[in-house]
Amino acid sequence: MNEHSVLIVEDNPTLRRLLEYRIGKHYDVRAAEHGEEALEFVETRAPDLIISDIMMPKMDGFALLKALRRNERTATIPFIFLTAKSDEASRAKGLSTGIDDYITKPFDIDYVLARVEQIIQRSQVYQTKLNARIGRDFSDRLMPKTMPREEGYRALFFSQPKEDGGGDLFDWVQLTDGSYLFTIGDIMGKGLQAKFYAFSFLSYIRSTIHAMLGSTVSPATLMRRVNAMLIQDQVLEETFASLLLLRWEPARDRVTYCNAGHCRPILVGLQGAGIIDYSDLILGLDPQTEFTDKAFTIPPGSALLCYTDGLNEQVTKSGQQFGEAGVALSASEALQAPQPIKMLLESMLERSADAHFADDILAFWLQRDAD
Amino acid sequence: MSFTIQKATPTTAVVRVGKALDFRNAADFKASCQEHTRAGTRYFVLDFSGTGILDSTGLGVIFSLYRQLTPIGGQVVFASVSRPVQVVVQLTRTYKVFRQFPTVEAAYDALERSPAAGRATGAAPTGTA
Repeated sequence: MNEHSVLIVEDNPTLRRLLEYRIGKHYDVRAAEHGEEALEFVETRAPDLIISDIMMPKMDGFALLKALRRNERTATIPFIFLTAKSDEASRAKGLSTGIDDYITKPFDIDYVLARVEQIIQRSQVYQTKLNARIGRDFSDRLMPKTMPREEGYRALFFSQPKEDGGGDLFDWVQLTDGSYLFTIGDIMGKGLQAKFYAFSFLSYIRSTIHAMLGSTVSPATLMRRVNAMLIQDQVLEETFASLLLLRWEPARDRVTYCNAGHCRPILVGLQGAGIIDYSDLILGLDPQTEFTDKAFTIPPGSALLCYTDGLNEQVTKSGQQFGEAGVALSASEALQAPQPIKMLLESMLERSADAHFADDILAFWLQRDAD
Repeated sequence: MSFTIQKATPTTAVVRVGKALDFRNAADFKASCQEHTRAGTRYFVLDFSGTGILDSTGLGVIFSLYRQLTPIGGQVVFASVSRPVQVVVQLTRTYKVFRQFPTVEAAYDALERSPAAGRATGAAPTGTA
């Protein structure tokens, strides 16, 4: 059964039932006796397509179409006239109103069905394309165009959003004391909604950081504020996010971080990789959550890798997820490479079941030069 | 849709999550749980035995349920947590919020005995017989 819905508007009960029965085999169908009733139905739930007679009591097909087109919410619902008015003048009048088809009675039900399918499919394609475009636009805005430049370090970033992916976000800002604050996060959920929330959420984080930096540079203090916002804010009420805030002081080779349930960073050194293991609860769940700052030093020749769950949830040839250990293994292989992130991803894809990453991927690589 | 929800008492429901809770069935899961909440369920035991996939959308609807129940004195607990689910729970540190039990029965017993459960049912007798 197709989940798309079709509204039939026909005053003749026999014909109405026939259409209801035949089209109902393929679509979720409702049937109205005239234009007025059709408008009531549309008010409660907009169908994916309307098939309407022209001559009907109370409100005819032309009046119905006009009423639908006047309302922004219903103006684009695909519309087919199914009518006994087979004269050219009526056909011309019908087609001039911008409908999708004009079918005259007696009609071939299979032809009607074929047209319904074509029209619904085409409007779905447009919708999907539009969503993809909006999604890409959001994704672009969620990612930085430049990276910090500091002597003795390389700061690299890569992201590859999927159209149906989630809401990954990354941002950085330089503070007045010469340190940097990095934001890496993932809004739970998939698709356009997650991307939209990621977008609003990132704007909020930016302004929170901006407003609070005068009084604190503590990632944990910022995190507490962001958590309180996620829980109180009406729009973001159902939003949960993992977030990693990192303050990097290049002069001291030091990173202070607070991790709210995000993928744990990996510190890759010549002697192997280790997980930066402390983390707190994910955001948006509990107003009482305590967040703690932790700090570590980046040794010479080591690199810090931060990422989102597209990496660790990627599936290996053996059918298991990479997990932290799997990502760490590829990260170790990438340490000496001229393009570490590229190497990391290539190494992972070599071990993956698929030739591509299944989800959004995002990687931030901060490498300190060897002495 | 792989989950099933079974009412164990007027206030407790056991949800057998099944093979997967992800972006495909998360909306159904949410709607079903909400229906039970409206009908008076305050305690949900989520049985994760055999659950291979719990993605972020799936985890999100469990969080929604938690957010919805906490203010009204309800609880969400986990039972028979499978390895893949354990990984997600570890990563998001949500074991701090959701109590875990080895079996549905153990979870059920703990909820039955918990003083919070007694308070929430209001008319429940105090003390032991």
